[in-house]
Amino acid sequence: MDIKAYIESGIIESYVLGMADDHERAELEQLSRQYPEIRAAIDAFELSLEQNAMANAIQPAAHVKANILTEIAGEFSDITEARTTAKLVSMSTPGTGWLRYVAAAAVILLVVSAATNVYFYRQFREASSQYQSLLIEKSSLLAQNQALQAKGLDLYQGMQIMSDPAYTKVSLPGVKADENKLATVFWDKKSNDVYLLTNRLPQTSADTQYQLWAIVDGKPVDAGMVDICNGLCKMKNISNATAFAITLEKRGGSPTPNLDQLQVLGGVNG
Amino acid sequence: MEVAKKYSESELVRLLQQRNQHVFSYLYDNYSGALLSIICNIVKDEELANDVLQEVFVKIWRQIESYDSSKGRLFTWMLNIARNASIDTVRSKSYQNNLQNRELSEDVYVSAGTSQLQVDQIGLRKVVHQLKEEHRVLIDLSYFQGFTQDEISKMLDIPLGTVKTRLRTALTQLRGIIKP
Repeated sequence: MDIKAYIESGIIESYVLGMADDHERAELEQLSRQYPEIRAAIDAFELSLEQNAMANAIQPAAHVKANILTEIAGEFSDITEARTTAKLVSMSTPGTGWLRYVAAAAVILLVVSAATNVYFYRQFREASSQYQSLLIEKSSLLAQNQALQAKGLDLYQGMQIMSDPAYTKVSLPGVKADENKLATVFWDKKSNDVYLLTNRLPQTSADTQYQLWAIVDGKPVDAGMVDICNGLCKMKNISNATAFAITLEKRGGSPTPNLDQLQVLGGVNG
Repeated sequence: MEVAKKYSESELVRLLQQRNQHVFSYLYDNYSGALLSIICNIVKDEELANDVLQEVFVKIWRQIESYDSSKGRLFTWMLNIARNASIDTVRSKSYQNNLQNRELSEDVYVSAGTSQLQVDQIGLRKVVHQLKEEHRVLIDLSYFQGFTQDEISKMLDIPLGTVKTRLRTALTQLRGIIKP
């Protein structure tokens, strides 16, 4: 094979410039391994092409390199270089590290503060509801106290009446089979004031009520309805009574006693 | 250039394949100008040529694994990437449309624009410009425009054999002129 003629054929330039077809390329690569002259000719043309291009270099626009580095950022292995070039992605400068601790501390403080707020709010709610129930208890106690005071006063007044010599005491025991029942009338014959103490009378139903009668000149006279009272109940004034009796009547009372429902009866002594 | 060269080609390739940014930066600083001169021979708009240069360096970075040093120099490999990317750009629809628009307003463009390159005065074009017309046309169509010899044969209505012979002659002469 005429190596010199082959080298001079233009095939080497065609190959280097990328214009050779597949067949030509394969042939040249094989021959270049076989003949050092061919290898040398390829190298020489490559070098002169490179030198020509170097000598005719055109300065690229300044932004091109930055654009390229941006496009392939993250594909580099040398981290130090990457950090210098892309300062924006740097996360480990000392200032940032310090700030991270401050940020972490702030977050922790916020969480602690929030938890404390929740704790105190619960405490407040609890105290507030306890205060409300104490207020209710207090007013209830106050009412009870007033009721007891009123009851005490009534009992005191009743005791005054019962121990007053001006009052005549009339015991009204139960009649018929109801001997266990008992009521007591305190009657001032001069002022005609009548007070009743219901010692032992069963509770009435909702539509019935006890009624006190005075027997005046052999006839029953209405002496008033029996209400629930502390100690003595003030009844209607009665004069010249010879006896007192209590019947069970419809609520509100009757003009004449229902003698079937006579509960207690007692005569006035002397 | 020679003073700045602190890496041998094999070192360059090894470090690029290890994804070393420092070496990539060095590669750009050393070869971007030379590659841009080739791109400008094909893409005649300076701004677009810079865009192609950007694309070329991203390709170099991403395809460095496929570079085989037994088949030629690193620069030759990069040069071919630049040439192919440039031809692809010129053949793209958007470039062709743009070119038509420019031709319509050619006068305005020439008087106002400074980015239109005098490509015949640059690098390889300058060398090719020294060839005879019949050779220059063949190099232009095949190397700078990327047509196959078959296509050229049909375009110029010259037998394929003649295209082959003339092109070989043109290339041989080219080497003579390029050789320092």
